[in-house]
Amino acid sequence: MRNTSVFAAVLAGFLLASPVAIAQQSTMPSDAKVYIIWPSDGQVIKGAFWVRMGLSGAGIAPAGVHKANTGHHHLLVDVDLPPLDQPIPNDRNHLHFGLGQTEARLDLPPGKHTLQLLLGDENHVPHQPPLYSKRITITVVQ
Amino acid sequence: MSLIPFRTLGASTAAMCLIVATAAAQGTQGQPAASPTAPQAANTSAPARTPAPHDAYVYIGWPLDGATVNGNHVKVWFGTRNFGIAPAGVSVKNTGHHHLLIDVPVPPLDQPIPNDRNHLHFGLGQTETVIELPPGKHTLQLIMGDGDHVPHDPALISRRITIYVHG
Repeated sequence: MRNTSVFAAVLAGFLLASPVAIAQQSTMPSDAKVYIIWPSDGQVIKGAFWVRMGLSGAGIAPAGVHKANTGHHHLLVDVDLPPLDQPIPNDRNHLHFGLGQTEARLDLPPGKHTLQLLLGDENHVPHQPPLYSKRITITVVQ
Repeated sequence: MSLIPFRTLGASTAAMCLIVATAAAQGTQGQPAASPTAPQAANTSAPARTPAPHDAYVYIGWPLDGATVNGNHVKVWFGTRNFGIAPAGVSVKNTGHHHLLIDVPVPPLDQPIPNDRNHLHFGLGQTETVIELPPGKHTLQLIMGDGDHVPHDPALISRRITIYVHG
């Protein structure tokens, strides 16, 4: 009997930590929208620049803060959208703004680059439905 | 590829210092309204103010100072640099939430920001809003508040802008 309950507890723990549990993603108001305020699509930029991240119909909260209808920005640079039911990767192409920042300074090498915003919840998992911006293309010149 | 995002707030690199100078200049413009009401820190019962890094600043990204706008739908977006946004009630270092001052001077800096139609709170952590204004001349200004709605030290106050609403 004890073994059974231990097994059940372990199984429950496993299920909670599994993608099945992650399926319970945070929600957002249906009119919430994330977008890149600046730069605009197709813009040619000289040198380093600030990206301004826009969110309407919802709020920003730092990573780890549980609050309904909030999330924090992630900036995808030169990559496709990651899987939308898992934590967003954290690397040079997936920049996390876990302090609740709404602007970021980027210094990209000359050439074409793509930028896209993806909002993540307190655990860096996209909301359901996911909130991401249009993917824009910019050209950096020296 | 060399990606250098300034994600480390309060960093004191030479590059950041340059931005600090710019930020300080922008952040303190047009704030004479703050002086008459700014307290002299003599009130011992005042709540302790949350520190903010000296390179942090807020600004009104839109509308532009002097703009003429349609009063039924004035979109205002809140700019924040070298600082983060957190909902009211949340105490995370180097974060706060926006308050939009409409047609009023800066309130006392050692007390919670009033909550009325001239002092709009954005306690969910919003970074933009849409307001309605009657025709005429109006002023807009942002002030950041901490988890308890008290301005930081130093206070993060935007330049006060004037806009014109046509009837």
